[in-house]
Amino acid sequence: MKRIYNILLSLACILMLASCENFLDMAPTNQADSSTCLTSAQDAQVMLNGLIYNLTSANYYGRNFLLYGDAKGGDMTIYTGGNPGDALYYFNHSASSGSYSGFWSTGYFCLLQANNIIANIEKMKEEGTTENLDDYLGQALTIRALIHFDLVRLYGKPYDMDKSSVGIPVVTAQVNAAEKLQRDPVEKAYTQIVADLNEAATLLSKRASRGYVNYYANQMLLGKVYQYMGNQSSALAAFENVINSNVYTLYTPNNWVNSWTGEFGSESILEFGIYPSERDLGTGSLGCYYMRKGHINAANGNFYASKYWMDIMGENDVRWGVMDWDHYYNDSSVSDNIRARSHYGKDCCYKYSGSTKLAGDKGSSNYTAVNIKVFRLSEAYLLAAEAALAGNNAAKAADYLNAIAKRNPDYTPWTASTVTAEEIYKEYRREFLCEGKLFFEACRLNKTLTFEDNAYYGATVSSRRGLTIDRNNNLCRLPISIDEIHTNPDIQQNPGYSGTE
Amino acid sequence: MKKVLIVALMVLSCSSLFAQNRVTGRVTSSQDGTPIPFASVVVKGTMTGVASNENGAYVLDNVPSNAVLVFSSIGFNDLEVMVNGRGVVDAALAPNAESLEETIVVAYGTAKKGTYTGAASVVKQEAIKDVPTVSFEQALNGKVAGMQITGSSGQAGSAASIRIRGIGSMNASNEPLYVIDGVPAQSGDAGQMSDYIYSTNNVMNSLNPSDIESITVLKDAAASALYGSRAANGVILVTTKRGKEGRPTVTFKASVGITPDWAVKNFEPASVYDNVNALYTIFHDAATRVDGLNDAEAAADAVSMLNSRWNRFGYQLSTTGTGAYDPIKIEARTDGQIKRVDANGNLVFFDWMDAYFRKAIYQTYDLSVSGGTKTSSYYTSFSYTKDQGRVYINGFDRLSGRVNLNQKVGKFFELATNVAVASTSRTGFNDTINNSDNYFMQSVNLLWPLYWPDNYKDGSPWTSRYQSYGYNLLYYNNLWENKSKSLKLSVSETATIKFTDWLNFRTVFSYDDTRYRDHIYYSPEHFSGASDNGRVNEMSTIYQKIVSSSTLNFNKTFGNHTVSALVGFEAEKNQTDFHRSTGKDLPVSALHTVSTAGSLDASGYNWGNSMMSILSRLEYNFGGKYYASASFRRDGSSRLGPDTRWGNFWSVAASWRISEEEFMKSQDVIDNLRLRASYGVNGTLPSSNYGWRSLAGYSYQYMGSPGGALINAADANLSWETSYTYNLALEFGLFNNRLSGSVEYFNRDSKDLLQDVPISTITGFSSTLQNIGEINNHGFEVEINGDIIRNNNFRWSAGINASFIRSRVTKLYDDADIIWYDPTGGDGNTQFLYRVGESTLAIYGREWAGTNPENGDNLWYSNNSNADMQLNGRNVVLDFNDTDEVILGDANPFAYGGINTDIEWKGLTLGLNFLYKIGGQIYDGAVYRLADDGYFWNRIRGKQYLDNVWTPTNHSGIYPQLRGCDLEDAMEYSSRWMHDGSFLRLKTVSLGYNLPTNVVRKIGLDKARVYFNGSNLLTFSKYKWADPEVNAYGTRAFETPIGKTYTFGIELSF
Repeated sequence: MKRIYNILLSLACILMLASCENFLDMAPTNQADSSTCLTSAQDAQVMLNGLIYNLTSANYYGRNFLLYGDAKGGDMTIYTGGNPGDALYYFNHSASSGSYSGFWSTGYFCLLQANNIIANIEKMKEEGTTENLDDYLGQALTIRALIHFDLVRLYGKPYDMDKSSVGIPVVTAQVNAAEKLQRDPVEKAYTQIVADLNEAATLLSKRASRGYVNYYANQMLLGKVYQYMGNQSSALAAFENVINSNVYTLYTPNNWVNSWTGEFGSESILEFGIYPSERDLGTGSLGCYYMRKGHINAANGNFYASKYWMDIMGENDVRWGVMDWDHYYNDSSVSDNIRARSHYGKDCCYKYSGSTKLAGDKGSSNYTAVNIKVFRLSEAYLLAAEAALAGNNAAKAADYLNAIAKRNPDYTPWTASTVTAEEIYKEYRREFLCEGKLFFEACRLNKTLTFEDNAYYGATVSSRRGLTIDRNNNLCRLPISIDEIHTNPDIQQNPGYSGTE
Repeated sequence: MKKVLIVALMVLSCSSLFAQNRVTGRVTSSQDGTPIPFASVVVKGTMTGVASNENGAYVLDNVPSNAVLVFSSIGFNDLEVMVNGRGVVDAALAPNAESLEETIVVAYGTAKKGTYTGAASVVKQEAIKDVPTVSFEQALNGKVAGMQITGSSGQAGSAASIRIRGIGSMNASNEPLYVIDGVPAQSGDAGQMSDYIYSTNNVMNSLNPSDIESITVLKDAAASALYGSRAANGVILVTTKRGKEGRPTVTFKASVGITPDWAVKNFEPASVYDNVNALYTIFHDAATRVDGLNDAEAAADAVSMLNSRWNRFGYQLSTTGTGAYDPIKIEARTDGQIKRVDANGNLVFFDWMDAYFRKAIYQTYDLSVSGGTKTSSYYTSFSYTKDQGRVYINGFDRLSGRVNLNQKVGKFFELATNVAVASTSRTGFNDTINNSDNYFMQSVNLLWPLYWPDNYKDGSPWTSRYQSYGYNLLYYNNLWENKSKSLKLSVSETATIKFTDWLNFRTVFSYDDTRYRDHIYYSPEHFSGASDNGRVNEMSTIYQKIVSSSTLNFNKTFGNHTVSALVGFEAEKNQTDFHRSTGKDLPVSALHTVSTAGSLDASGYNWGNSMMSILSRLEYNFGGKYYASASFRRDGSSRLGPDTRWGNFWSVAASWRISEEEFMKSQDVIDNLRLRASYGVNGTLPSSNYGWRSLAGYSYQYMGSPGGALINAADANLSWETSYTYNLALEFGLFNNRLSGSVEYFNRDSKDLLQDVPISTITGFSSTLQNIGEINNHGFEVEINGDIIRNNNFRWSAGINASFIRSRVTKLYDDADIIWYDPTGGDGNTQFLYRVGESTLAIYGREWAGTNPENGDNLWYSNNSNADMQLNGRNVVLDFNDTDEVILGDANPFAYGGINTDIEWKGLTLGLNFLYKIGGQIYDGAVYRLADDGYFWNRIRGKQYLDNVWTPTNHSGIYPQLRGCDLEDAMEYSSRWMHDGSFLRLKTVSLGYNLPTNVVRKIGLDKARVYFNGSNLLTFSKYKWADPEVNAYGTRAFETPIGKTYTFGIELSF
């Protein structure tokens, strides 16, 4: 039978005028088999591009992750509910609605990509490749650490609060479809992060990099991770690796405002490129979310700075230069009666529109494709100041703080005797409004955040979180989403959220 | 053959017993006047008889002058004629449509209808030829038991959807396999335009329906298993015409159809005044209920809101009182160049329906020539069809030509060549729910007759968005364009070698090349092109298909045993090349080409699949009474991985012609009685060409450089879906076959269904495609046909077919429910639930309990322990959030089918075809936009709604009170928008007249026929909002409705 069958097939092939060999092997021409997609340095570059592209998803660095850090950070408020993202502000999360599961799914999707790059490069190295793949490996390892760090901060308790509590599944290899991984302790994530960063540090380039990870981005992240772990001296060393390299320089008070109108400025240690035909979110971009309502047709005025932030800003601080008046100030139809009961001011942040005139950062007419600045040198200075102060080097702390604080021309320089951790934190808030950091830092430092829920006439106080919150509140961790629980029923839900509803 | 022998014996045995008259005459077919050779002519009540010769002539001696002659022949109805002393008696026999000896086309060959062991239905050219459709599928509607044909749009040239015996898949296709002249063909939507304007382009449009000789629908496994891995949803075999031996016949056919209106009223808007009053009520309510103003303040506010909308179009609105329900007065403003009044000073409104829709014209012209000699035959045709849609920009036209040649070479060899070329061109528009460019939605839901396409102040065109978000498309029609052009070339060559009269080899090689070129352009001034400063896309899609199929056929009779066998192999390769270029930032409105653009963007790649098969069939028949058959096919497909790509498909079947048994010979009521049964296994391939491969995709460009990522968690062992079908049938013919029919029962278990199984997202993905689910379809099909009156001059026949099909989900991954949404147009018209034990179209949502007659509030059955009140002994709540979603109904009908009747009288024919559906819910996904409780303030409300809404003076209104507080109740997926889908529609009525032969001959013609065809003229429906003939999911939205078409045609041959 088999012979007859073979004869028949051969006959068919003759009639088809085609080779029988590969007749049934049809492969796509715009996609590659996953097993062969990374076999050269050039492939590594392509897959790394794909990884960073996916980091800039709207679910992650493209928008929501930064929104998470600010909407919850106490220095923002909203003038009305109902706009996208207000659940973040109200801490209105449950497993089935407002779970922001995109952090989890995008995070693990990106971890898969990073692990794929790492595994393939390691395989090529084992097989004795002659190409130098170190930098790609270092970048993938650093990004793997970055994702773990972000996820453990979203879903786990702060390290110094309870490092043995449940964190996230730590994933360092591709996970099979049938696997149902459980959450590892917070500490395990940090151990893996430090290991990855230290391995990567020896592999990475030390030149300034546009849109990619280099040695200094690695050290910035390492410093921050050490700080979360309470290891201030190691943190200081890492930050000083960045500061003392002279690869980056601080913006002067005069060019600080203008720095937002260009990409890859002198402070940019890690900046993800957002380009018009790639990850431009258009009217869904961060820039549009923070813009004054009505500045362009689609702008809803989702988030405005709160009075608590405006109150700590000096009158002549250069950093007002990226802030603009809100729609109450501009809207003549708002009656005096309503105006009198509302907060209004220069509370709209335009860092992600280039400027208050929507200049963008690429010198083109597009103002929604604006790069995401992940690490700036200013952050190294302020975090180094904190670390130095903790290490009893108050003079150094004052120096680092002054380098930033002078952006307010009316400031009084800090000295070894006047500098305090509280002032450093306050400067951090002034500098990093709307850069996705404030809530995380507040949790690390165990600050109590106060929200200005009643900023505008008609706005309501959140019943979910109350006017103030601190990290002991379970709402400071996101719930594991119902989709994950459905497919992985044994996974542990965070306290404060019911498992199934 | 048997009858001829009997007649011959009778002639020999019954020599001249009486010395009486000699009668001569000719036996011909009443249909086309051709002679019928070997017809039997018998003197009724005697054994005296004779057979006609090759020219249909007969001579019969010794016929009593008062005798009755009985004429009969295979394939024709018997005819009795009084001699009345005549010496010449001619007889014209009417063909018997239900002939058991009729040859039908089946998988890889032909069979006799009365002895075929599978379940197959045949539709002939006559049944579809006068129906004005550009593709043949719609013309089959209601003509085949077990086959449901639905269109998702009334646009010219859009694709239809066919379900044969229910729904057998969740993730892969439910459409049947199409085979044209023995070659599997591409079907469904083609080209890229549907990605841009959500309007389909049916590739079957390239096949001229006039070229079709017959269509066979294969329904059970015995009939279709020879098509293996693609046959689980049934197979539609199309056979094109071939020449017949004889002198050349030239046929010319022309017809013109007019579609002046829709088949039924769809979403009929309420009057302008009713609508304005309703909007006033909403504003008034918002001001009093929400903002706490008093009546006078609220009335002033509401009127100012109305005026802010319509002052600018030349109307002045005012109240007649201060209450929420006081009527509004409308007057024309006098401060512009244009005053909205007619010559008599009466107020005028703009009729958008009239402005957007036209009386559409359908035209088709066919010319064909066919003929042949003993060794060769030919059929050639040329045709032009133009089908306008009712919307001004929708149209389709086709030029097609075909040459089918047969040539015998020597004694053993025969060649058949088919060449077909078709060029089509189509323009369409958006059929999905879309405020800015769905014409139908705009005219019934958005564009108030108070909005005008011009500015009353100076007559300039209105270009900005209306308050209801509609656009003045009369202006924008000139600022965009779309066109899909296709060119299809099909060539196939069939060679047959007849080694002996019982053994032949046949090989078919076919090449099919279909090219679509899609063009879509938006000017910088068009709202869709503004953000890009003008945009043009040029796309090219080239489908190439190569099929080679060869079979060896054996057929021999040994005494009472007849054995036939077939073995063969087949290989098929499909490749599609795609290219797109896009230009943005266009400099000049006059130039609509990519090359002028400031910014360019392109994409191009190809995809495809291939398949290789061996196939075999064995048939056995004992004495014309007992039949058995078996088939086996082995398929290998590139759509599956190397380890799983080969699969086996098979069937067994048997039939018993009870009526041929001796014990049946003694009665004369039952002419035909046959029992048949079959069992077999078929498959469905995954829709995706590469679903089994783990892939990296490259659509992740980062900072201008290419980027890649792993994109799926593939199961390398992915396999086909497999269906296991058995079929039981009883066929009968009674009273000289005047009443015939069949009853079939089938059961189809579809297993290993592809499902997107959710997985832990820690893997990086949320789902993986696996073979998991199971569905069962079972049911009855009944067909009954009868000649109610049958005599020489007059025939009245009628037939009915009915299908009763139950379609249930029997297994899901982890038995977990899956919520899914109607995929039509991407609108998510309704929500369905797959749940084990429930229907495959189980509508899922909240259960609306109606309107509280006390206060006009929405009431909801909670279906849980929440209760604000009780109604009909059940818990009812006011807030839909407090309810649980439940299965609300089933969109699969209880029964569906067709009723066909036709009358023939002296060259006049009248045919009526009805389509019906009993039960099955329609979910209207559009109507809440014109019947909601006040969420969509600026939309036009329907007449059905405003006539039945609760008001303080109409407490019996079934719809809740209009409110100005944005109630979202109406927007929920709920039973409120579900309706009984039962309907009866006169799908086509056709009236034809064959001019008398003697008249026709005088002007040199063989035949002349004039006809009228009316489509969708009458509809009886339980569902009143819109057309009840809905899509395959039982839903509808704002798709272009079906029209009423009146067609007049003429057919001449010489």
